[in-house]
Amino acid sequence: MIQKSSEPLSLALPKGRLMEDVKNFFEQKGLDFSFDNRKLVSYDKSGNLKIFLVKNSDLPTYVNHGIAGLGICGSDVLYESGYKFFNLMTFEFGGTSMCIAGMKGQKQNNDERKLSVATKFTKFTSDYFHKKGIPVEIIKLNGSVELAPVLGLTPYIVDLVETGSTLKANNLEVLEKLEDIKVHLIANPAYYKLHYKSIKKIVSILKG
Amino acid sequence: MGTETIYIEEAYKHRQANEELGKLFTSWGYLPVETPVFDFFDIYQDFIPALKDIYRLIDREGDLLMLRSDITLFLAKQMGLSLKETDLPVRICYSGTILRHQNREDISKNEFFQTGVELIGKEDSNADLEILMLLNSTFNSLEIKPIVHIGSRKLLNASVSDFNNSDKKQIMSMISYRNFENLKNKLKEKNDKERINFLTNLFQFIGTPEELKTLIDSSEKVIIKEELTALNDLILIMESLSKLNVDSDFIIDLSEVGNQSYYTGIVFQGYIEGVDSAVVSGGRYDNLLGQFGFEAPSVGFSLLLRKVENQLGKKFSLPDHENIDDKNFIDAYRKAEKIRKNGRIAIL
Repeated sequence: MIQKSSEPLSLALPKGRLMEDVKNFFEQKGLDFSFDNRKLVSYDKSGNLKIFLVKNSDLPTYVNHGIAGLGICGSDVLYESGYKFFNLMTFEFGGTSMCIAGMKGQKQNNDERKLSVATKFTKFTSDYFHKKGIPVEIIKLNGSVELAPVLGLTPYIVDLVETGSTLKANNLEVLEKLEDIKVHLIANPAYYKLHYKSIKKIVSILKG
Repeated sequence: MGTETIYIEEAYKHRQANEELGKLFTSWGYLPVETPVFDFFDIYQDFIPALKDIYRLIDREGDLLMLRSDITLFLAKQMGLSLKETDLPVRICYSGTILRHQNREDISKNEFFQTGVELIGKEDSNADLEILMLLNSTFNSLEIKPIVHIGSRKLLNASVSDFNNSDKKQIMSMISYRNFENLKNKLKEKNDKERINFLTNLFQFIGTPEELKTLIDSSEKVIIKEELTALNDLILIMESLSKLNVDSDFIIDLSEVGNQSYYTGIVFQGYIEGVDSAVVSGGRYDNLLGQFGFEAPSVGFSLLLRKVENQLGKKFSLPDHENIDDKNFIDAYRKAEKIRKNGRIAIL
């Protein structure tokens, strides 16, 4: 039985793709939680965690401002936010990769004057190609990025690829994997310093 | 001030707190110093942690200038140029605005006003203690209750002495962001397995002097002499603090390695519930003044006053006021005078 500490720790979880994995993982560790219909705040069974549901891309903002002390988030979103956090653990689940993709059969053309890419991940994309010294033109999209090559907006996209089925369905293929994306438990640094004892406990439960 | 405007009640609070601290510092013999708002960039460039955070400008002669981004730094240059051996020790305090770039979505960090003290010309742990006790008094007079995490740059310097400066910078960032997986990999370049494990454990440590002693005892075989000295210094300071019955919480945290490159000895940061980043930081910097022409060991702290202002005690709030609505100005004036004599606010 997990002891309840005086004040629950605040944890932000992302709505969407990761939610089921997180929920199952926490259940295995005895930290079950559930959300009543349309509610966005809940507590885990042991009462040690106060859990907020937030939009994935807003999660780093909440943690950066200390509204939630802890958060679970993919390294893709963390990188885009530009904020710095403590990385307390890396999860096995939710891993994916950041890839550059284009129309099937159309190999990446190195002679091109510049690379033209559509993506949601503008910071990652510009930093990645900047470091390699490749000039890149980036067009920001907020979703359905696969459409860009299909409709002729840009020849390439940079996006997360899990199974590749979306790409396939749109006659696209991965040209190169750029980076592994992992899911992390993060903490606001000042929050960690104030609550390190209870945070250590939770981390050891999650790691155990 | 800085890049923000603060209004009536808030400005009142800010001024009260600033004055209160000025009085406190003076009563400890710390006297005020004002530093320039901008100066030549090239003097400071080696000491600036993130170039992208500072504002630079070009003067009419084409020289590159920078706006004050850290008062300690500007102060060190002034002191380095003007101090003489016979002046030491010198106790100074300052309060003023600093300008650092902040993301426009992130302007709420409130890092625009530094208030602090420096004790120059004393090398011993008594000077460290004096600064920590003055920090404790600072918290008391503001009626706030932060927790202070104390670490040691001396320890870090001893542990990674065989790495070059740019590696050391990386290691410091890994430690202060508690990124111990990366730290392990980095340490592999120069250390054997036992040392790697020891160092990773060591820099994760947060706890009491007793707990640190236990860790030291169990690491007898891997610890080097310089590390032991640095740790014992820290333990001694903590034990003195507890003998002095400080009201604030002080704790050893070896992942505190200092947020500025110039630190050399103890380093610390203070955190407070409800504030999203450190509110105070400080430590010992024995070589900084030397870089500007005059060697003198120093220790000090600097408080980001704006960060704690919504947590200040009641005595800093705007007092109640009385509106005097007497039509006869002479009567009204006399009434008001009486009220003011009693320390209250009267508005005609």
